[in-house]
Amino acid sequence: MVDAKNSLDALTGTLSRLETRPPSFRNRGLSGVNGAFTPHLDYGSKQLPWLHGALAGVTAATQVASEVADPDMGLALLRMSGPRLQAALSGIMLLAAWVDFLNLSDVVLRECPAYSVEKLVVDMHRVQGLVEPSMTALASADPTRVEAVATALPELMSELTREFHFLREEASRAMERAGQVMAVTQFVEMLTMASAMKLALPRVPPAAPSTLSTTLVMGANGVMVGSQVVVSAEWVEMMRRLVQAGVISSVAVSAAVRIHAGMMMAQGSGDLPKGVRDALGEGPEVRAMRETGRAGAGMSEAPKHHVLPREHREWFEQRGFTGDMDIDQFCVRMEAAHHQAIHGGGDWRMGRMWPGEWSRMLMGALRDAEMLAGRMLTPNEILNIVAERMRRYEVPMNFVSWRGR
Amino acid sequence: MSEGRSWRGNWKARLHERVRERGYTSLTAFANARPTASLVELAEELDRDGLNAVQVFSGLVAEAERSHQLTRLERGQLVRELFEFLPHGWPAVLDDANRFMVAKALSSWISFTPDVHQERARQVAATLLATPPPPGWRPLDPDDELLRTLLPDEDV
Repeated sequence: MVDAKNSLDALTGTLSRLETRPPSFRNRGLSGVNGAFTPHLDYGSKQLPWLHGALAGVTAATQVASEVADPDMGLALLRMSGPRLQAALSGIMLLAAWVDFLNLSDVVLRECPAYSVEKLVVDMHRVQGLVEPSMTALASADPTRVEAVATALPELMSELTREFHFLREEASRAMERAGQVMAVTQFVEMLTMASAMKLALPRVPPAAPSTLSTTLVMGANGVMVGSQVVVSAEWVEMMRRLVQAGVISSVAVSAAVRIHAGMMMAQGSGDLPKGVRDALGEGPEVRAMRETGRAGAGMSEAPKHHVLPREHREWFEQRGFTGDMDIDQFCVRMEAAHHQAIHGGGDWRMGRMWPGEWSRMLMGALRDAEMLAGRMLTPNEILNIVAERMRRYEVPMNFVSWRGR
Repeated sequence: MSEGRSWRGNWKARLHERVRERGYTSLTAFANARPTASLVELAEELDRDGLNAVQVFSGLVAEAERSHQLTRLERGQLVRELFEFLPHGWPAVLDDANRFMVAKALSSWISFTPDVHQERARQVAATLLATPPPPGWRPLDPDDELLRTLLPDEDV
């Protein structure tokens, strides 16, 4: 639990640092040309708020998770932040790729007058069209859509790489036609340098992806391609913990590794070599755990119910359950019979004198706790009490959002 | 934790069956033999995946209603709550953190008290806070002297 929390913290930190880089490119030559490229620059900057938001949310959730004394509740809170972390992870890779394109067009604009500005506008528009649907899906933070994007991300990155390569070739050819042969070599150099985002874009293009995939191995220092470390052992370890804790999915992590390795062309998803998969926490025992974590057979379609009673929304809001901690975030999937039972329906009880109805019991306990403590409870203290109650009623400690699928 | 399997099928029959299998004539007798175990622990010992704490408590209430031993059950439940949430006994100093733990234990107990006696339970909780028991107090069964003073049996 603490491990997973620390990993999450480290990852959030890494992402935040990356995230602050893109704006620095804004002051280059792209801002000229009568503002023709301003929308493209803005598109990049416009992604920053939701990425910031997602990371802030993840950080807040991690904070709360670390303060809740109850370990089960702590893990459940971490899992809540999973989809957003995953969205941020994918979104930042995508944004980094977009920034590469901005850099490239910046160089082309300044160094390659032979390349038509109109053509470049069309090119960039096309690329933005590629990036946009995935970025929108990620920004929605809807777990199902985020997962779908994460799965398809290697393919998308591969397409972006081809576009990048194509644009570079076109620009070189334009210069050759214009007779600036001497400058071409130097120019190509510059274009390659423009791809500053070593994290996102691999060597362009991936030379022989199918053979590469066979040489991807888990070494002592991390995932290796040949003698080159693609991702560090620390990164792998961090991811493994998060996957094991059910915070992020192994699909997303595998996608990230393949992108780092420049293996977007590799067939299908989840086709990483076994050693790497195991290191990433995709072993059978983890899969089994995630099955139970997700409430396995049939439960994923069971109806959702609020754990913190909706009719007392205001009471919870007054105690800090707003925004990311809104009571809508604390829903669980439960079968009808179970749900009915804990709400005192279906003639479930044995004794007559203790109804044990969930909402009344919980609100009673919380109000009495405040009265006895002589003050308002904090969100952590409330969750602490709720966790204990959930165990007694055998309510699964797997929160889903009321909104979304 | 299992995922709500305890509510499937005829859990009342399952509860009686598990108690019998362990050689007890009643759920109360089974619980009395483990006076400091939490309800969750009792349920897990009976049937880890097939029963839960609420079902066990409901069964205990039903038996106590029949034998007119509700107050004894309430004392017993207070023993379980205090043992679970105040493992070092009653705190010597009621600072903010300790006071929360005491409030959590007592409010938990109140919510697991039969309706007719909840008001009395609240008064007992207030009394314990107003005139605290000696530091380290940690009743181990429903016959604890202080508990019997606070909650005397109805038949006595």
